[in-house]
Amino acid sequence: MRPNINYLIAGVFVALIFITIITVTAILPAMTFTPVPSEAAYKYEPGSPEAIGRMIYRREGCFYCHSQFSRYQDREMGEVVNAGDYVYETPHVLGSERTGPDLSNIGGKYPDAWHWTHHVNPRVVKPGSIMPSFSYLSDEEMTYLVAYLQTVGAKRKQPNWVTAPQEYRDRWDKVKEAVDINSSAAANAGRGIYMQNCAQCHGVEGRGNGPTSVSMQKKPANFTRPFYKSYDDATWFWRVAEGVPGTRMPRWYKSLSDESMAYVAAFVKTLPQDNEEAVTSYDDVDIPGALDENFWEIEAAKAHGHNNPLKDYAPSTFKAAGADDTATHGGAH
Amino acid sequence: MSWLSSATRHIISDEPYSASRNFILSAVLWLVVGVTLGTLAGALMTWPDLITGVAQLSFGRLRPAHVNMVAIGWLSMGYVGCYFYILPVLARRKGIWNEKLGNITMVAWNLVLLSGVIAIMNGYTEAREYAELNGIFDWLVLAALISTGINGYMTVLTGEEKKWYVSIWYMLGSLFWFPLVYIIGNRAFVAFDGLNDAVAAWFYGHNILGMWFTVGGVGILYYLLPRFTSAPLYSHTLSMIGFWTIGMFYAPTGTHHILQSPVPEWLKAIAVISSVFLLVPVLTVLTNFFMTMRRKWYLAADHIPLRFVIAAGIAYLLTCIQGPFQATRAINWYLHFSNWVVGHAHLALLATFSFIVFAAVYYIIPKVTGRKIYSKQLAVYHFWFTLIGWIVMVVVLTIAGLIQAAGWHFSIAMDQWAFEMEPYMFVRFLSGILITVGQIFFMYNIYKTVFGAEKDVEALPHSPTGIAYV
Repeated sequence: MRPNINYLIAGVFVALIFITIITVTAILPAMTFTPVPSEAAYKYEPGSPEAIGRMIYRREGCFYCHSQFSRYQDREMGEVVNAGDYVYETPHVLGSERTGPDLSNIGGKYPDAWHWTHHVNPRVVKPGSIMPSFSYLSDEEMTYLVAYLQTVGAKRKQPNWVTAPQEYRDRWDKVKEAVDINSSAAANAGRGIYMQNCAQCHGVEGRGNGPTSVSMQKKPANFTRPFYKSYDDATWFWRVAEGVPGTRMPRWYKSLSDESMAYVAAFVKTLPQDNEEAVTSYDDVDIPGALDENFWEIEAAKAHGHNNPLKDYAPSTFKAAGADDTATHGGAH
Repeated sequence: MSWLSSATRHIISDEPYSASRNFILSAVLWLVVGVTLGTLAGALMTWPDLITGVAQLSFGRLRPAHVNMVAIGWLSMGYVGCYFYILPVLARRKGIWNEKLGNITMVAWNLVLLSGVIAIMNGYTEAREYAELNGIFDWLVLAALISTGINGYMTVLTGEEKKWYVSIWYMLGSLFWFPLVYIIGNRAFVAFDGLNDAVAAWFYGHNILGMWFTVGGVGILYYLLPRFTSAPLYSHTLSMIGFWTIGMFYAPTGTHHILQSPVPEWLKAIAVISSVFLLVPVLTVLTNFFMTMRRKWYLAADHIPLRFVIAAGIAYLLTCIQGPFQATRAINWYLHFSNWVVGHAHLALLATFSFIVFAAVYYIIPKVTGRKIYSKQLAVYHFWFTLIGWIVMVVVLTIAGLIQAAGWHFSIAMDQWAFEMEPYMFVRFLSGILITVGQIFFMYNIYKTVFGAEKDVEALPHSPTGIAYV
């Protein structure tokens, strides 16, 4: 019954080592790592539809295939998460594998009806998806689940246009110290690099009509389009560096230095804007007669006769633009 | 009701080695059910509309059921079955300290797991990976682990042998570590908020592999190798270095599962550094394995359990080179979230540790029942079906993982590359079929041995040779 005294000492050491490790890697973080709730943190009130929805999300094992943290290296998955966003996320649903897409910014991305359809038969709205059908959930449970999904990341400020990912915004903050992108010196430096590397596709004037473009299925970008005037500096830098997925646009970071790419961006920014009409907000939508507050009723009556139900589905934005702000927006029309 | 009392007497007996036998028999059952559910879940990744409208069989519930059955049911019960034979033999004792307690633990373990898996499939789940058993089940599993631990420790302490062979170290170590890891990892005992919950969950999620499956599996391997080759272990010192370095470097690695999440950087640094340091215990095991096998490889020609051990050793080499490699920040940056990691998990638990237990079962069952293995040919089929099955599975999952990782890295929309996964998911399902068929051969063989084969007294424990029972 009495073990060797050496074994006893060894056993004590095993226990001590392990208790130290538990303390350092599990207990100590819990004591020292207490981030302040960020603006994006969503507090789930117990018993609220969102909280019940979160429970259903966990119960159905959604987190086995969907992660809930967008990472620094992820592209076009929305904003990168911060520690403060997770203060109320207990138990965690970070996920470890992405059979499906990351969901950290899903809230507000699709309307409720889309989520309903998607959960009943995912293949209807996402061809090729292998998500299971959750048709066995009751209508009530589905409402809760959708309510929860609409909260995930909904308070995180999302980019509303093509925006550089966090990684490139950080990199740009460093590069712009070295290169003044709005200076003519930078643009002139970029002109040479552009003519050597970019002009064969994008054309000498940046109209996307370089000689190589003839043989391309996906035509090179025409930088004189007003769309490209909405790019900010970091976005130009990112696009030059990482190229455009699905096109022949290369990843220039493999052959150009950060400064060179900034010079190219500086040059492209100086290209003139075409006179093409662009719509960047609902207020600029040009619909004849839209100023008339009864526009939708009149249109619907023309098409379907009076008392048709469609008139209730007129987009409220259009109604509001016509009804309230006639004075400010009159000039646009 | 005399049949009931006689059945109870047989199941909860105090006959030496009966607990070992019963643990192994239940483990084999869980294995077949577990891999079947796994294959079904694999089928759902090819035909997502195969089963609709049945909540219990949707992927999100099949997956935890599969994981719990093969991890807590098959592998853990298989380990305990092996411990309950190996520990008394090494400690020179006739049977474990308390066979009755061992058998009661076995019955309780089965009941807890059965009801726990049914609960998971019906939506009563803790919803944290590897820790899905919820609430009361956490307490019951812990009770089973503690009673197993007491039995293991008392067996060694009451044995006549005062010098501990290295396997005893590994086995007693795992019986000490696992209950503690289980306590940290389950919210019934320790409940942190927010990201700290993720840290604790991955402390558990990795250490159930590190402090239980690895330590226990290596312990069993160190027992089987000298027995099968009739040669002493190459280096006892190396194996002890392995034991101590596992104790130091395995436990803090959990955070490498959430390396790009916003948890403290110092925690990630500890995890990555200790993950790389894991190469030390791994290389001790591999050195011992390959040096002990020196000039003995030919034995595998007709020693089927040795074949399993060799396959396990080579899979251990692969999985443990992969592990530190993909835990480094640069590699993890690229590979994380992809099916590569799923392949890695199967490489560790199926190709390495399950194979060690397969070999141990083929060796131990004749010893504890006194019957020769029913069919050598079935064991050969079992070997090849499972071996080809896991090779195919790991290869296709690795390729699929690289496609996924490339998709994210080159920011290609998932709607485009998701179609590319279809052939791989289909082949993965086929590999699941292969593995399931192999395990059915295995179960049939083992049950036929225990309940049908003729008694062969030579096979009983403490008989001088370890070779040629299969």
